[in-house]
Amino acid sequence: MRFFVAWLLLLAAAPAAADDAGERLFAPCRACHSLEPAERGLPGPNLTGLIGRSIGGDPAFDYSPVLRKARDDGLRWDAARLDSFLADPAGMFPGLWMSMRGVEDAAERQALVGLLAAPSSR
Amino acid sequence: MNRRQFLVSTAAGILAAPALLRGARAQEGPFRTRYYPVAAGMGSRDVAPAPDGTVWFCGQRNGTLGRLDPRDGAFKLVDLGKGAAPHGVVIGPDGAPWVTEGGQNAIARVDPADHKITLFRLPETEAGANLNTGVFDQSGIYWFTGQSGIYGRLDPKSGDMRVFKAPRGRGAYGITITPKGDVWYASLAGSHIAKIDLGTGNATVVEPPTPNQGARRVWSDSKGRIWVSEWNSGNVSVHDPADGSWKAWKLPGDNPRTYSVYVDDRDKVWLTDFSANAIVRFDPESEKFNAFPSDRPGANVRQMAGRPGEAWGGESGTNRLVVIQSLAPA
Repeated sequence: MRFFVAWLLLLAAAPAAADDAGERLFAPCRACHSLEPAERGLPGPNLTGLIGRSIGGDPAFDYSPVLRKARDDGLRWDAARLDSFLADPAGMFPGLWMSMRGVEDAAERQALVGLLAAPSSR
Repeated sequence: MNRRQFLVSTAAGILAAPALLRGARAQEGPFRTRYYPVAAGMGSRDVAPAPDGTVWFCGQRNGTLGRLDPRDGAFKLVDLGKGAAPHGVVIGPDGAPWVTEGGQNAIARVDPADHKITLFRLPETEAGANLNTGVFDQSGIYWFTGQSGIYGRLDPKSGDMRVFKAPRGRGAYGITITPKGDVWYASLAGSHIAKIDLGTGNATVVEPPTPNQGARRVWSDSKGRIWVSEWNSGNVSVHDPADGSWKAWKLPGDNPRTYSVYVDDRDKVWLTDFSANAIVRFDPESEKFNAFPSDRPGANVRQMAGRPGEAWGGESGTNRLVVIQSLAPA
């Protein structure tokens, strides 16, 4: 019984831990991006509801030419594409105006994807 | 903006057409643009020309600090450590490059002789500071910014570091020192510039007249006026702290995006415009712009620095360094 309770606790804690990791990893991103729907006018696009929407899909934001082209080509964000993007943003979109080193650690990327895909980010 | 004022420069290694510069003062040209390829995929960005003629540069995408010898184009890379993502570099009074090393949330010193790396880590309470740019004051203290909304000071001799919360939160970006010794920084997300009291560490905000202009970088001229690259507005502006005045000019072209600013030894202002994919020179006397488009798309020069006769930048999108030389007339 004690084992079962411990297992249940672990199960409940796992998403919370992933959320914590995602929040921690997202901290530097907050210099330019917001997950609050109403917060606009930052140096980067609002990332609320990112999964499923068009690349370059924040109508209030002036994107890099390479992202405008991706939008015009009909590309959309899904979890797999976001994971690849986070691994090497400028590799996926050469000439990207945003500048950051890719996230090498797959678990860290998954934590970020999880955060951006979470209902609270929609 | 008169179209005739928008002088387009030349491609790599070719002298600027003299006709384009007719009427310009002799010592202002012609110009020669040169490109130096560095390592593929490294994201070569901020640069720091060194007194020995070499140029240090940050490889944000591969976690290295590079050193180019322009005499033969050879370069060496110094691996700054696991997860490193260097953003800015300046040469310290000790002759060494000092780096805002965002990946390890630390200030890094690289010994120019043996390339030994010394890290000065930020306190754990300042994790994810998104370190941006640094500058040395006249007493040898290194001041730095972090886009998460901090700035700080590091005493290189003792290693003592203090971190301050920026007065309006996130956005602290470029930083500069005036000839008098005052230190100013720009806030991109906060759309202001601020002067740091070097004694107390307090910062006083000064707002440019253009609302939500996105002040990204700053550079002082020889008179202590603060030049500002405004990302959102596409302006270059200048603030004179002596009388509190401001002036602003829109860069040429459609929807300019003014990323960086550097003021050379003749008080000419070098800007980069991402929309035009160009380095743009501004003469405050004639109020004319002179554009030097890259010969490749997506160059993305994010910062410039220089020495007499040379304005350097890193093309982060093409993995090259670029220099525009002001050639003495024959």
